[in-house]
Amino acid sequence: MLQTADRDIHGATLSRRFLLRGAGALTVGFGLVGGLAGCVNPPAATVASKLASSWIKVGPDGTVAVHTGNSDFGQGTVFTAYRQIVADELYTTIEAITTVVTGDTDRTPDGGGSYALLFMGSPNIRKAAAYTYQALLDLAAQKLGAPRSAVTAEDGVFRGGGRSIGYGDLVRDQALSLTIPVQDMGPMGLRISGDPPTKPVSAYKYVGQSFDNTATAARVTARADWITDVRLPGMLHARMVRPRTLGSTLVSAGTVDKARFPGAQVVVKGNLVAVVSPNEWEAIQAAQSVADGTRWTDWKGLPGHERLPEALRGNDWAATPVSHEGFFGAPPQAADAPDRARRAIAGAARTLKASYFMPYLKHAPIGPTIAVADVRPDGTTTVHAHNQNAQLLRRAIATMLGTAPDNVVVRSYAGPGHYGRSNGGVSGAEDEAVILSKELGKPVRVQWMRDEDIQWSTQQAAAYSDIEIGLDAQGRMVGYQADHFMPAMGDTRPIGAVLAGLPTIPAPAPSTDPSAPTVNRLWDDWIYGSVKDVSQTGHGGSQIGQAASPLKVGLRDQSMRTPGQFQQNFPREAAINEAAALAGADPLAFRLAHATDPRVKGVLEAVRDASGWQTRPTPAHGAGQGDVLRGRGVSNLYREASYWSCVAEVAVTRSTGVVKVERITLAVDPGIVINPKQLKRQVEGGVTMGVSQALFEEVRFDESGVTSRDWSSYPILTMADLPEIKVVLLHKPEIGVYGSGSEAANALPAAAIVGALHDATGVFARRLPLTPAYVAPLLST
Amino acid sequence: MISLTVNGVAREVASSPDTPLLYVLRNDLGLTGPQFGCGLAQCGACSVLVDGREMRSCVTPASMAVGHEVTTLEGLPQRWAAKHGAAGAAGPQDLHPVQQAWIEEQTPLCGFCQNGMMIKATELLETTPAPSTDQIKAAFTTGGPSPHLCRCGSYTAIIDAVHRAAALMKA
Repeated sequence: MLQTADRDIHGATLSRRFLLRGAGALTVGFGLVGGLAGCVNPPAATVASKLASSWIKVGPDGTVAVHTGNSDFGQGTVFTAYRQIVADELYTTIEAITTVVTGDTDRTPDGGGSYALLFMGSPNIRKAAAYTYQALLDLAAQKLGAPRSAVTAEDGVFRGGGRSIGYGDLVRDQALSLTIPVQDMGPMGLRISGDPPTKPVSAYKYVGQSFDNTATAARVTARADWITDVRLPGMLHARMVRPRTLGSTLVSAGTVDKARFPGAQVVVKGNLVAVVSPNEWEAIQAAQSVADGTRWTDWKGLPGHERLPEALRGNDWAATPVSHEGFFGAPPQAADAPDRARRAIAGAARTLKASYFMPYLKHAPIGPTIAVADVRPDGTTTVHAHNQNAQLLRRAIATMLGTAPDNVVVRSYAGPGHYGRSNGGVSGAEDEAVILSKELGKPVRVQWMRDEDIQWSTQQAAAYSDIEIGLDAQGRMVGYQADHFMPAMGDTRPIGAVLAGLPTIPAPAPSTDPSAPTVNRLWDDWIYGSVKDVSQTGHGGSQIGQAASPLKVGLRDQSMRTPGQFQQNFPREAAINEAAALAGADPLAFRLAHATDPRVKGVLEAVRDASGWQTRPTPAHGAGQGDVLRGRGVSNLYREASYWSCVAEVAVTRSTGVVKVERITLAVDPGIVINPKQLKRQVEGGVTMGVSQALFEEVRFDESGVTSRDWSSYPILTMADLPEIKVVLLHKPEIGVYGSGSEAANALPAAAIVGALHDATGVFARRLPLTPAYVAPLLST
Repeated sequence: MISLTVNGVAREVASSPDTPLLYVLRNDLGLTGPQFGCGLAQCGACSVLVDGREMRSCVTPASMAVGHEVTTLEGLPQRWAAKHGAAGAAGPQDLHPVQQAWIEEQTPLCGFCQNGMMIKATELLETTPAPSTDQIKAAFTTGGPSPHLCRCGSYTAIIDAVHRAAALMKA
């Protein structure tokens, strides 16, 4: 076989071997050039274990396979935007992108979690494609005998020197390997470095157009590879028997009545109790029977949800360093900012001082967590999963087994949306399936029941904020100060491993280290540029109940859609609404008057116009009269290069305290809108979840554990409560950036609804959810 | 042994008669359209049609389906073809108009609940060929054992798709 000299492609390296006829491909591999220092909770990982396979592969028939470590959780991005980006950067057709492989640790590179598909994540796929195109261009120039500058490409065909050649012909009969430079970003996966030339935005053919999600047809015809469908030969079904409380230890495990359940078997490992059977229904019934006979110690160590607002104030906030650092690249605030804000507020003509509270919320996937594991006698382990971070899951399993990540493979399947729950690599069932498979020497499928999935999963951390705003005599904001308090939200310990007493990464615990996992950063960038004296402080602390629980579990928290930022943006925007009212100003005009960034103003003007907003002071004239009162409110947010604004219109029934959201208008400016149809659906989905969170959702718990256990004790919005949703997409190709679109929409409705409630009734709500039990007493005072 | 008629085919399964239909469909018959969501008839992910009526297979003993016609998501194209023949085909032969509309409107996000949503839409459209938005909301909220729940927030897209399916079925 003939090998030619390597060629430099804008910092990447193209190597080439000639093969026997017929096969051939260009594949994209990696060379590590640097890493991220001080990443949070570094798991035992080897960089080599992240370097699986190719990001992009161009085959001898000209088709292109995209391999991404990201999985799909309903965003569709990997099947829509990624194909569009690759087709454009490669100057080929979108139909040529025939294969998308996601989240298989042995077949895809480490793309980090499915939380940074665009903005932070998209430079990867864009650059991988751009490097690949440059390599193809280099090959084409040689083949066509023309200088690179004289070669052009369109629809997968190069032309130059009066001749043409298709991509398939360029790679046929050769093994072409392009090694591109990457950095290891820890939990965020690999990031491609360097700056290969990218296609001018003005030349895009696919980005900016609506394309269908290529996964949809299979999902509506029962042909999708759902995680729920995975069946392995000899597989056992398992159901877990949970401790009675979040702090109970096992006294004695119940036994299987073999007369009733001949195929069932109990497995006990530490405090982990499971029942397995070849028959799923037998496993379910036998587990219930075993649970009835299992004895646990009692435990009380939680405040109960009714006492949570006060109890949260008593958390160990002082044990964790405060943070003034943003997350999305915003510079840390100046050291004198707290003093300046304090002085500005002290000298203000009028001041607002208010506290806001958000309860624990559940990710609440429609299907409970599920996984199938196969631990072989030689220790190699395959986990079939539906997980937002396959590489972190792989490492968590390896840590638990005391083996190298290279001995663990995670394969990803379609499944219910997780909304952040499995960002940290575990959604719940995976480690339990592994423990049981290892114990029994057979493949094991673990599926949680509905009550477990609400009571034993992680959740969005509760939070509260103390906010002060100073207004001058003209009613302009002159100072803003916020203290945001939230327990750690990154508990990625596999719960089965914890119960079984097996190794895991440590629980989040306070330390003096400024990168301690309990640190609460500033997730919500300030966007009202005319206010200069602004100070925000993030206070982090322990998870509630963790230290007191003999199991060390307590109320475990994990990131959830718009993580951390929802908890900080809701109080800020609710307070801005109150400040506008204090100033006697229209809340939308008040925001416009304080914004300096034209894109902040742009989304505000867009929702104002699209919603038919009438500029006037709030509350509405005549507020507080009649039984059904109507009002409107507004909110604003910036996240990951996207600008958002939301108007909510509500009807409040005074006699009952029922808040009905009638219409939501939401504008987003993400820079480049890659796929308008898909973004609109994503935004509608986010808004719907956000209205649900604002009106209905709160995790109920007593002193021993979570008492929400089904859809009636953790209600979410139903179709009857769906507002009319109007989405305005602001396409700004000149920005040149793909902002993030599937997140954030859920975080906006709550503050707009609270503003609308005030507009309708003159009453300010300072906590969520806006249930009749909370709102009715507010209205009668 | 239970004898069932599923998607027009007589099937015999060895499961005990009290086994919920969901496990029989998924594990014995390999029909993976219906999904386990709650096991409590509270979400709708497991829905199937029994004699054209939406039923929650997670709480319905398989024995209760004996002597009745069970239709799963897999059986929707055939159900449409059987009622309307080739002349009634609204789209590709392997899709029920409801499925076709679900694709055209890009309704699913994660898609896990959509089995039940499409089953409910089929039931609704067979009795109400041109439902209003209020009728759709009522059908999906109070027209069964519980509301059909979607956590991704696809309700707007579902309403759009039901209207589109109604138009496809009329065409």
